[in-house]
Amino acid sequence: MNRITADFLYIGSGIVLTLELLVGSVLIGLVGGVLFAVARRCNTVCKALINGIVSVVRGTPVILQLSIIYFTIPQVFGCKLGIIPTGVIAFGINSSAYVAEILRAGIENLPKGQFEVSRALGIPRFHMWKDIILPQVLMNILPALINETVTLLKETALIATVGGMDIMRRSQVIAAEQYEYFIPLCIAAFIYYALVLLIEFIGRKVEGLKRYAENL
Amino acid sequence: MLKICDICKSFNGIEVLNNVSLDIEESSILGLAGSSGSGKSTLLRCIQGLEIPDHGTINYDRKIGFMFQDFNLFPHMTVLQNLVYAPSLRATADEKKRYIDKARDMLKDLGIAGKESTYPGTLSGGQKQRVALARSLMIDPEVLLCDEPTSGLDVATIEDVVGLLRKVNGLGVTIVVASHDLEFLAQICGRIVLLRQGKILLDIDPRDNPIAIENLKNSYT
Repeated sequence: MNRITADFLYIGSGIVLTLELLVGSVLIGLVGGVLFAVARRCNTVCKALINGIVSVVRGTPVILQLSIIYFTIPQVFGCKLGIIPTGVIAFGINSSAYVAEILRAGIENLPKGQFEVSRALGIPRFHMWKDIILPQVLMNILPALINETVTLLKETALIATVGGMDIMRRSQVIAAEQYEYFIPLCIAAFIYYALVLLIEFIGRKVEGLKRYAENL
Repeated sequence: MLKICDICKSFNGIEVLNNVSLDIEESSILGLAGSSGSGKSTLLRCIQGLEIPDHGTINYDRKIGFMFQDFNLFPHMTVLQNLVYAPSLRATADEKKRYIDKARDMLKDLGIAGKESTYPGTLSGGQKQRVALARSLMIDPEVLLCDEPTSGLDVATIEDVVGLLRKVNGLGVTIVVASHDLEFLAQICGRIVLLRQGKILLDIDPRDNPIAIENLKNSYT
């Protein structure tokens, strides 16, 4: 096995951690974002509270949020979180703030009549959100959500700052070992780019399914 | 009887309804006429409960169906799902089956059988109108409120709407139609109320008084 192949396999095995972080934080981001966006429309107290949270989360660097969770939780609560929970929580909360904003735009753009007709037909609030509003909004904002997923994938590289052995960190390890930066970093770039293309491909497929269904 | 007493409603300080009182007989068809901004839609929305009046009462506690001007069909659901979704929410499995049968019958009655699994985006204006009508009838309303049911429809389709509303009325459903189209209202309504700047200006029976329709047209301007 030549050196480049060995480097590629070593760096490539970081995909596991990167994908674990990505899947976990996309899920937290989506669920959190939906909860934020819906709760915002409940009453003024909820709205003010969530606006505050979203503003703070969007207004501070992810690397800082990651460090706060990784270093302060053991100090304050006396228990240490692992790399994956730390990353998933930090990236997930950060993403939920952005998803909440994307959803807000989507909800505001949906014709008001969809809410009114739900009320006129006596559809309970929970069902209105679950079956009428959110399915339409999520489909409309799908391109923005794909964009957010791509951003999140690249942000997971910050896990290296707290010692996570992801694609980025592994490429740095190789570079430091061999005093050779070009190839390991190119390998990392290639892997990240391939993952981004994969996410975009899946996104386009889902969008296509929606169009297909509506034009049957 | 649907009793509307002294309804007032304003939006951002602009008075849209000003002491409107109406008694609507059961199984009748009432037309609300008036130019844009006269308060027709707001009155319908108050009856349905989509707007809460600033003052006055609406005395009615039975089921009301609402047909919106722009239909507001659910674009991500098929025609059949549009019809059965709301009534099926609290239904047992047997009832759900009955709702599906009822929806199919209704689509057949309205002349759009075979469109059950189509999405609303591919329907014509007239077909959407029928689906919207069918959906509002699925809950067996005793009163049907129609907001501008003829806007954007061609003459032949308007004729169809007249026929459909008469048919619904024949089943004993009270209908309140808001429209700026006086000829359409004169065709189907037993009573026409003209609103201007949120007040009732005229209250006539078009059949007794055909000349009044011409006068009404003039009063638009």
